[in-house]
Amino acid sequence: MSVYTCAQLREIAPELALGVLGGAERAEAIIHINGCARCQAHVNELTEVADALPLLAPEHEPPPGFERRVLAAGRTQRRRGTRRFVAAVAAAAAAAAILSITIVRVVDAGGERVSAAVPGRPVEVRMATVGVDQHPAGWAYVTDQHAIAVAVSYSSFPTGEYRLVATPKGGSRFTVDNMKVIEGHGSWTGVSRVPLSTGSSIELVDDQGNLVCHGTVPRAE
Amino acid sequence: MWSVSDDALIAGLAAGDQDAASAFVRRFQRRVFGLARTIVGDDRAAEDIAQEAFLRAWRHAAAYDPRRGSVVTWLLTITRNLSIDAVRVRRPTSFDPTSLLGFDHESTERGPDEFAQLGEDGARLRAALARLPAEQCRAIVLAGLLGHTAREVSEMEDIPLGTAKTRIRTALQRLRTALVTEERAE
Repeated sequence: MSVYTCAQLREIAPELALGVLGGAERAEAIIHINGCARCQAHVNELTEVADALPLLAPEHEPPPGFERRVLAAGRTQRRRGTRRFVAAVAAAAAAAAILSITIVRVVDAGGERVSAAVPGRPVEVRMATVGVDQHPAGWAYVTDQHAIAVAVSYSSFPTGEYRLVATPKGGSRFTVDNMKVIEGHGSWTGVSRVPLSTGSSIELVDDQGNLVCHGTVPRAE
Repeated sequence: MWSVSDDALIAGLAAGDQDAASAFVRRFQRRVFGLARTIVGDDRAAEDIAQEAFLRAWRHAAAYDPRRGSVVTWLLTITRNLSIDAVRVRRPTSFDPTSLLGFDHESTERGPDEFAQLGEDGARLRAALARLPAEQCRAIVLAGLLGHTAREVSEMEDIPLGTAKTRIRTALQRLRTALVTEERAE
Protein backbone atom coordinates (compact mmCIF):
# COMPACT_ATOMS: atom_id res chain seq x y z
CA MET A 1 0.00 0.00 0.00
CA SER A 2 1.46 3.39 -1.02
CA VAL A 3 2.03 6.14 1.52
CA TYR A 4 1.08 8.76 -1.10
CA THR A 5 -2.40 10.07 -1.83
CA CYS A 6 -3.24 11.02 -5.42
CA ALA A 7 -2.80 14.72 -4.56
CA GLN A 8 0.67 14.07 -3.12
CA LEU A 9 1.61 11.96 -6.12
CA ARG A 10 0.64 14.79 -8.48
CA GLU A 11 3.04 17.07 -6.57
CA ILE A 12 6.04 14.85 -7.27
CA ALA A 13 4.92 13.43 -10.63
CA PRO A 14 7.12 15.86 -12.65
CA GLU A 15 10.26 14.82 -10.75
CA LEU A 16 9.31 11.16 -11.24
CA ALA A 17 8.82 11.74 -14.97
CA LEU A 18 12.16 13.56 -15.21
CA GLY A 19 13.94 10.71 -13.40
CA VAL A 20 15.31 12.96 -10.63
CA LEU A 21 13.31 11.69 -7.67
CA GLY A 22 15.29 10.15 -4.78
CA GLY A 23 15.27 6.37 -4.26
CA ALA A 24 12.76 6.09 -1.38
CA GLU A 25 10.32 8.65 -2.83
CA ARG A 26 10.61 7.02 -6.22
CA ALA A 27 9.84 3.57 -4.81
CA GLU A 28 6.74 4.88 -3.00
CA ALA A 29 5.60 6.78 -6.09
CA ILE A 30 5.92 3.66 -8.25
CA ILE A 31 3.90 1.64 -5.73
CA HIS A 32 1.17 4.27 -5.98
CA ILE A 33 1.04 4.50 -9.78
CA ASN A 34 1.08 0.73 -10.14
CA GLY A 35 -2.25 0.72 -8.31
CA CYS A 36 -3.74 3.93 -9.73
CA ALA A 37 -4.50 4.10 -13.45
CA ARG A 38 -5.27 7.86 -13.41
CA CYS A 39 -1.98 8.84 -11.78
CA GLN A 40 -0.15 6.40 -14.07
CA ALA A 41 -1.69 8.10 -17.11
CA HIS A 42 -0.71 11.51 -15.72
CA VAL A 43 2.92 10.43 -15.20
CA ASN A 44 2.98 8.91 -18.70
CA GLU A 45 1.86 12.23 -20.19
CA LEU A 46 4.61 14.11 -18.36
CA THR A 47 7.17 11.47 -19.31
CA GLU A 48 6.45 12.09 -22.99
CA VAL A 49 7.55 15.72 -22.53
CA ALA A 50 10.46 14.78 -20.26
CA ASP A 51 11.78 12.29 -22.82
CA ALA A 52 11.76 15.00 -25.49
CA LEU A 53 13.91 17.45 -23.47
CA PRO A 54 17.26 15.97 -24.65
CA LEU A 55 16.23 17.03 -28.18
CA LEU A 56 17.03 20.59 -27.05
CA ALA A 57 20.77 19.98 -26.76
CA PRO A 58 22.74 21.43 -29.69
CA GLU A 59 24.13 18.96 -32.20
CA HIS A 60 27.89 18.67 -32.49
CA GLU A 61 30.17 16.88 -34.94
CA PRO A 62 32.06 14.07 -33.15
CA PRO A 63 35.85 13.70 -33.63
CA PRO A 64 37.06 12.17 -36.94
CA GLY A 65 36.87 8.37 -37.06
CA PHE A 66 34.03 8.18 -34.53
CA GLU A 67 31.71 6.17 -36.80
CA ARG A 68 34.48 3.69 -37.67
CA ARG A 69 35.35 3.16 -33.99
CA VAL A 70 31.72 2.60 -33.01
CA LEU A 71 31.17 0.06 -35.81
CA ALA A 72 34.37 -1.83 -34.93
CA ALA A 73 33.36 -1.99 -31.25
CA GLY A 74 29.86 -3.08 -32.28
CA ARG A 75 31.20 -5.94 -34.41
CA THR A 76 33.40 -7.11 -31.52
CA GLN A 77 30.44 -6.94 -29.15
CA ARG A 78 28.32 -8.96 -31.56
CA ARG A 79 30.97 -11.63 -32.14
CA ARG A 80 31.47 -11.99 -28.39
CA GLY A 81 27.73 -12.43 -27.84
CA THR A 82 27.42 -14.95 -30.70
CA ARG A 83 30.44 -16.98 -29.53
CA ARG A 84 29.06 -17.10 -26.00
CA PHE A 85 25.68 -18.31 -27.25
CA VAL A 86 27.11 -20.91 -29.66
CA ALA A 87 29.27 -22.21 -26.81
CA ALA A 88 26.21 -22.39 -24.53
CA VAL A 89 24.19 -24.31 -27.15
CA ALA A 90 27.04 -26.76 -27.77
CA ALA A 91 27.50 -27.24 -24.04
CA ALA A 92 23.75 -27.75 -23.59
CA ALA A 93 23.57 -30.41 -26.30
CA ALA A 94 26.63 -32.20 -24.87
CA ALA A 95 25.22 -31.96 -21.35
CA ALA A 96 21.92 -33.47 -22.53
CA ALA A 97 23.78 -36.48 -23.94
CA ILE A 98 25.89 -36.91 -20.78
CA LEU A 99 22.82 -36.64 -18.56
CA SER A 100 21.09 -39.19 -20.72
CA ILE A 101 23.96 -41.69 -20.28
CA THR A 102 23.78 -41.09 -16.53
CA ILE A 103 20.07 -41.80 -16.49
CA VAL A 104 20.53 -45.10 -18.35
CA ARG A 105 23.25 -46.16 -15.89
CA VAL A 106 21.12 -45.26 -12.89
CA VAL A 107 18.21 -47.23 -14.31
CA ASP A 108 20.56 -50.15 -15.03
CA ALA A 109 21.94 -50.03 -11.52
CA GLY A 110 18.41 -50.12 -10.16
CA GLY A 111 17.92 -53.48 -11.79
CA GLU A 112 15.16 -52.24 -14.08
CA ARG A 113 14.92 -53.24 -17.68
CA VAL A 114 15.67 -50.49 -20.16
CA SER A 115 14.58 -50.54 -23.74
CA ALA A 116 17.87 -49.20 -25.07
CA ALA A 117 21.39 -50.01 -23.95
CA VAL A 118 22.69 -46.76 -25.44
CA PRO A 119 21.21 -43.33 -24.89
CA GLY A 120 18.92 -41.81 -27.50
CA ARG A 121 19.81 -38.79 -29.59
CA PRO A 122 18.81 -35.37 -28.23
CA VAL A 123 15.57 -34.02 -29.68
CA GLU A 124 15.87 -30.34 -30.55
CA VAL A 125 13.10 -28.03 -29.28
CA ARG A 126 13.08 -24.58 -30.83
CA MET A 127 12.20 -21.92 -28.27
CA ALA A 128 10.38 -18.77 -29.43
CA THR A 129 9.04 -15.63 -27.77
CA VAL A 130 5.31 -15.36 -27.22
CA GLY A 131 3.05 -12.87 -29.04
CA VAL A 132 2.57 -12.02 -32.66
CA ASP A 133 6.24 -11.86 -33.65
CA GLN A 134 7.41 -15.23 -32.23
CA HIS A 135 11.13 -14.37 -32.38
CA PRO A 136 13.56 -17.31 -32.14
CA ALA A 137 14.84 -17.31 -28.56
CA GLY A 138 17.11 -20.37 -28.34
CA TRP A 139 16.86 -24.15 -28.04
CA ALA A 140 16.13 -26.89 -25.56
CA TYR A 141 17.41 -30.43 -26.04
CA VAL A 142 15.52 -33.37 -24.59
CA THR A 143 17.18 -36.78 -24.52
CA ASP A 144 15.39 -39.99 -23.54
CA GLN A 145 12.46 -37.83 -22.44
CA HIS A 146 14.21 -36.89 -19.17
CA ALA A 147 17.54 -35.17 -19.76
CA ILE A 148 16.98 -31.51 -20.57
CA ALA A 149 19.45 -28.84 -21.63
CA VAL A 150 18.24 -25.32 -22.38
CA ALA A 151 20.10 -22.37 -23.92
CA VAL A 152 18.13 -19.17 -24.49
CA SER A 153 19.29 -15.94 -26.10
CA TYR A 154 17.11 -12.90 -26.70
CA SER A 155 18.38 -9.40 -25.97
CA SER A 156 15.14 -8.14 -24.43
CA PHE A 157 15.02 -10.79 -21.71
CA PRO A 158 15.90 -8.79 -18.60
CA THR A 159 18.62 -10.14 -16.34
CA GLY A 160 17.10 -12.09 -13.47
CA GLU A 161 15.80 -15.36 -12.11
CA TYR A 162 13.32 -17.27 -14.30
CA ARG A 163 11.38 -20.51 -13.86
CA LEU A 164 11.77 -23.38 -16.28
CA VAL A 165 8.34 -24.94 -16.55
CA ALA A 166 7.30 -28.10 -18.41
CA THR A 167 3.95 -29.59 -19.32
CA PRO A 168 4.05 -33.28 -20.36
CA LYS A 169 1.65 -34.19 -23.14
CA GLY A 170 -1.66 -34.87 -21.43
CA GLY A 171 -0.14 -34.12 -18.02
CA SER A 172 0.02 -31.30 -15.49
CA ARG A 173 2.30 -28.25 -15.67
CA PHE A 174 5.20 -28.32 -13.21
CA THR A 175 8.31 -26.29 -12.42
CA VAL A 176 11.49 -28.08 -13.47
CA ASP A 177 13.88 -25.63 -11.81
CA ASN A 178 14.94 -21.99 -11.64
CA MET A 179 17.23 -20.60 -14.28
CA LYS A 180 19.31 -17.40 -14.41
CA VAL A 181 19.34 -15.13 -17.45
CA ILE A 182 22.14 -12.57 -17.68
CA GLU A 183 22.10 -9.86 -20.37
CA GLY A 184 19.69 -11.89 -22.47
CA HIS A 185 21.59 -15.19 -22.24
CA GLY A 186 20.90 -18.18 -20.01
CA SER A 187 21.42 -21.94 -19.93
CA TRP A 188 20.38 -24.82 -17.71
CA THR A 189 20.93 -28.55 -17.71
CA GLY A 190 19.26 -31.17 -15.54
CA VAL A 191 16.71 -33.92 -15.35
CA SER A 192 12.94 -33.79 -15.56
CA ARG A 193 11.19 -36.00 -13.01
CA VAL A 194 8.36 -36.53 -15.50
CA PRO A 195 8.97 -37.85 -19.06
CA LEU A 196 8.66 -35.20 -21.76
CA SER A 197 7.51 -37.02 -24.86
CA THR A 198 6.47 -35.62 -28.25
CA GLY A 199 3.95 -32.76 -27.82
CA SER A 200 5.17 -31.79 -24.34
CA SER A 201 5.94 -28.11 -23.85
CA ILE A 202 8.87 -26.31 -22.22
CA GLU A 203 8.47 -22.71 -21.07
CA LEU A 204 10.48 -19.94 -19.47
CA VAL A 205 8.51 -17.78 -17.02
CA ASP A 206 9.77 -14.52 -15.47
CA ASP A 207 9.54 -13.55 -11.81
CA GLN A 208 6.22 -11.80 -12.44
CA GLY A 209 4.72 -15.02 -13.77
CA ASN A 210 4.82 -13.90 -17.41
CA LEU A 211 5.60 -16.47 -20.08
CA VAL A 212 8.60 -15.15 -22.04
CA CYS A 213 9.38 -17.99 -24.42
CA HIS A 214 8.31 -21.56 -25.10
CA GLY A 215 8.77 -24.58 -27.32
CA THR A 216 7.12 -27.94 -28.04
CA VAL A 217 8.98 -31.25 -28.13
CA PRO A 218 8.79 -32.48 -31.76
CA ARG A 219 8.68 -36.07 -32.95
CA ALA A 220 12.17 -37.60 -32.78
CA GLU A 221 13.73 -38.12 -36.22
CA MET B 1 20.01 4.12 -46.93
CA TRP B 2 19.46 7.78 -45.94
CA SER B 3 15.81 7.65 -47.01
CA VAL B 4 15.11 4.64 -44.79
CA SER B 5 12.92 5.37 -41.75
CA ASP B 6 14.37 5.37 -38.23
CA ASP B 7 12.22 2.35 -37.35
CA ALA B 8 13.55 0.40 -40.35
CA LEU B 9 17.12 1.27 -39.38
CA ILE B 10 16.62 0.00 -35.83
CA ALA B 11 15.13 -3.23 -37.22
CA GLY B 12 18.24 -3.62 -39.41
CA LEU B 13 20.44 -2.95 -36.40
CA ALA B 14 18.62 -5.64 -34.41
CA ALA B 15 19.17 -8.09 -37.27
CA GLY B 16 22.91 -7.34 -37.35
CA ASP B 17 22.87 -5.58 -40.73
CA GLN B 18 26.17 -3.68 -41.09
CA ASP B 19 24.79 -1.13 -43.57
CA ALA B 20 21.94 -0.34 -41.20
CA ALA B 21 24.38 0.01 -38.30
CA SER B 22 26.55 2.36 -40.30
CA ALA B 23 23.58 4.49 -41.40
CA PHE B 24 22.21 4.51 -37.84
CA VAL B 25 25.47 5.89 -36.42
CA ARG B 26 25.81 8.44 -39.22
CA ARG B 27 22.23 9.64 -38.79
CA PHE B 28 22.37 10.19 -35.03
CA GLN B 29 26.04 10.74 -34.13
CA ARG B 30 25.80 14.55 -34.10
CA ARG B 31 22.79 14.48 -31.78
CA VAL B 32 24.23 11.84 -29.46
CA PHE B 33 27.67 13.44 -29.24
CA GLY B 34 26.10 16.92 -28.89
CA LEU B 35 23.93 15.84 -25.96
CA ALA B 36 26.77 14.03 -24.17
CA ARG B 37 29.03 17.07 -24.68
CA THR B 38 26.33 19.41 -23.36
CA ILE B 39 25.99 17.42 -20.16
CA VAL B 40 29.58 16.41 -19.41
CA GLY B 41 31.27 19.48 -20.92
CA ASP B 42 34.29 17.51 -22.12
CA ASP B 43 34.92 16.21 -25.65
CA ARG B 44 36.95 13.15 -24.65
CA ALA B 45 34.41 11.96 -22.07
CA ALA B 46 31.55 12.81 -24.44
CA GLU B 47 33.06 10.60 -27.15
CA ASP B 48 33.32 7.62 -24.76
CA ILE B 49 29.72 8.16 -23.65
CA ALA B 50 28.46 8.55 -27.23
CA GLN B 51 30.19 5.31 -28.25
CA GLU B 52 28.72 3.44 -25.28
CA ALA B 53 25.26 4.83 -26.10
CA PHE B 54 25.45 3.44 -29.64
CA LEU B 55 26.71 0.07 -28.39
CA ARG B 56 23.82 -0.17 -25.93
CA ALA B 57 21.35 0.76 -28.66
CA TRP B 58 22.90 -1.94 -30.86
CA ARG B 59 22.69 -4.52 -28.04
CA HIS B 60 19.09 -3.69 -27.16
CA ALA B 61 17.73 -2.78 -30.62
CA ALA B 62 15.42 -5.81 -30.60
CA ALA B 63 13.80 -4.51 -27.41
CA TYR B 64 12.98 -1.07 -28.88
CA ASP B 65 9.23 -0.47 -28.64
CA PRO B 66 7.93 2.29 -30.98
CA ARG B 67 4.82 2.70 -28.83
CA ARG B 68 6.99 4.17 -26.06
CA GLY B 69 8.55 6.92 -28.17
CA SER B 70 10.57 7.65 -31.27
CA VAL B 71 13.96 6.12 -32.03
CA VAL B 72 15.73 9.43 -31.44
CA THR B 73 14.16 10.04 -28.02
CA TRP B 74 14.99 6.42 -27.04
CA LEU B 75 18.61 6.84 -28.11
CA LEU B 76 18.93 10.25 -26.45
CA THR B 77 17.45 8.91 -23.20
CA ILE B 78 20.19 6.24 -23.17
CA THR B 79 22.77 8.98 -23.84
CA ARG B 80 21.37 11.29 -21.17
CA ASN B 81 21.39 8.57 -18.51
CA LEU B 82 24.98 7.56 -19.32
CA SER B 83 26.07 11.22 -19.28
CA ILE B 84 24.37 11.94 -15.95
CA ASP B 85 25.99 8.86 -14.41
CA ALA B 86 29.37 10.10 -15.65
CA VAL B 87 29.07 13.59 -14.13
CA ARG B 88 27.27 12.64 -10.93
CA VAL B 89 30.46 13.01 -8.91
CA ARG B 90 31.66 16.23 -10.48
CA ARG B 91 28.73 18.57 -10.93
CA PRO B 92 29.30 22.01 -12.40
CA THR B 93 28.10 24.57 -9.86
CA SER B 94 27.24 27.72 -11.74
CA PHE B 95 26.22 28.42 -15.31
CA ASP B 96 23.24 29.66 -17.24
CA PRO B 97 21.35 26.61 -18.55
CA THR B 98 19.57 28.67 -21.17
CA SER B 99 22.90 29.67 -22.69
CA LEU B 100 23.75 25.95 -22.96
CA LEU B 101 20.81 25.61 -25.28
CA GLY B 102 22.28 28.29 -27.51
CA PHE B 103 19.53 30.86 -27.51
CA ASP B 104 18.65 34.15 -25.90
CA HIS B 105 15.79 33.42 -23.54
CA GLU B 106 14.29 36.89 -24.03
CA SER B 107 13.84 36.31 -27.76
CA THR B 108 11.32 33.89 -29.21
CA GLU B 109 12.51 34.58 -32.78
CA ARG B 110 14.37 31.61 -34.22
CA GLY B 111 16.01 31.24 -37.58
CA PRO B 112 14.59 28.62 -39.96
CA ASP B 113 17.90 26.73 -40.03
CA GLU B 114 17.84 26.37 -36.26
CA PHE B 115 14.32 24.94 -36.31
CA ALA B 116 15.14 22.59 -39.19
CA GLN B 117 18.10 21.21 -37.26
CA LEU B 118 15.99 20.54 -34.18
CA GLY B 119 13.26 18.67 -36.02
CA GLU B 120 9.55 19.31 -35.55
CA ASP B 121 9.29 18.06 -31.95
CA GLY B 122 12.44 19.81 -30.83
CA ALA B 123 11.45 23.08 -32.46
CA ARG B 124 8.02 23.08 -30.80
CA LEU B 125 9.57 22.22 -27.48
CA ARG B 126 12.14 24.98 -27.74
CA ALA B 127 9.48 27.53 -28.67
CA ALA B 128 7.40 26.44 -25.66
CA LEU B 129 10.46 26.61 -23.41
CA ALA B 130 11.23 30.13 -24.59
CA ARG B 131 7.78 31.26 -23.46
CA LEU B 132 8.41 30.14 -19.87
CA PRO B 133 9.65 32.61 -17.22
CA ALA B 134 13.47 32.47 -17.11
CA GLU B 135 13.62 30.90 -13.64
CA GLN B 136 11.28 28.06 -14.69
CA CYS B 137 13.25 27.56 -17.88
CA ARG B 138 16.47 27.18 -15.89
CA ALA B 139 14.84 24.80 -13.40
CA ILE B 140 13.47 22.47 -16.07
CA VAL B 141 16.73 22.43 -18.05
CA LEU B 142 18.76 21.73 -14.91
CA ALA B 143 16.47 18.86 -13.88
CA GLY B 144 15.20 17.53 -17.21
CA LEU B 145 18.27 17.84 -19.40
CA LEU B 146 21.15 17.81 -16.92
CA GLY B 147 19.59 15.41 -14.39
CA HIS B 148 19.81 17.57 -11.25
CA THR B 149 17.49 16.73 -8.36
CA ALA B 150 15.18 19.40 -6.93
CA ARG B 151 17.53 19.75 -3.95
CA GLU B 152 20.49 20.38 -6.26
CA VAL B 153 18.45 22.91 -8.23
CA SER B 154 17.55 24.71 -4.99
CA GLU B 155 21.24 24.91 -4.02
CA MET B 156 22.39 26.03 -7.44
CA GLU B 157 19.69 28.66 -7.72
CA ASP B 158 19.91 29.59 -4.03
CA ILE B 159 16.19 29.14 -3.48
CA PRO B 160 14.15 27.06 -0.98
CA LEU B 161 13.60 23.39 -1.89
CA GLY B 162 9.84 23.95 -2.14
CA THR B 163 10.37 26.76 -4.64
CA ALA B 164 12.65 24.56 -6.76
CA LYS B 165 10.05 21.79 -6.78
CA THR B 166 7.32 24.26 -7.73
CA ARG B 167 9.38 25.69 -10.61
CA ILE B 168 10.17 22.23 -11.99
CA ARG B 169 6.55 21.11 -11.67
CA THR B 170 5.06 24.26 -13.17
CA ALA B 171 7.55 24.31 -16.04
CA LEU B 172 6.93 20.70 -17.05
CA GLN B 173 3.17 21.08 -16.84
CA ARG B 174 3.32 24.28 -18.94
CA LEU B 175 5.43 22.57 -21.56
CA ARG B 176 2.96 19.72 -21.65
CA THR B 177 0.02 22.10 -21.99
CA ALA B 178 1.75 24.10 -24.72
CA LEU B 179 2.59 21.00 -26.76
CA VAL B 180 -0.88 19.48 -26.40
CA THR B 181 -2.54 22.78 -27.34
CA GLU B 182 -0.35 23.04 -30.46
CA GLU B 183 -1.11 19.46 -31.45
CA ARG B 184 -4.85 20.07 -31.17
CA ALA B 185 -4.60 23.30 -33.16
CA GLU B 186 -2.97 21.46 -36.12
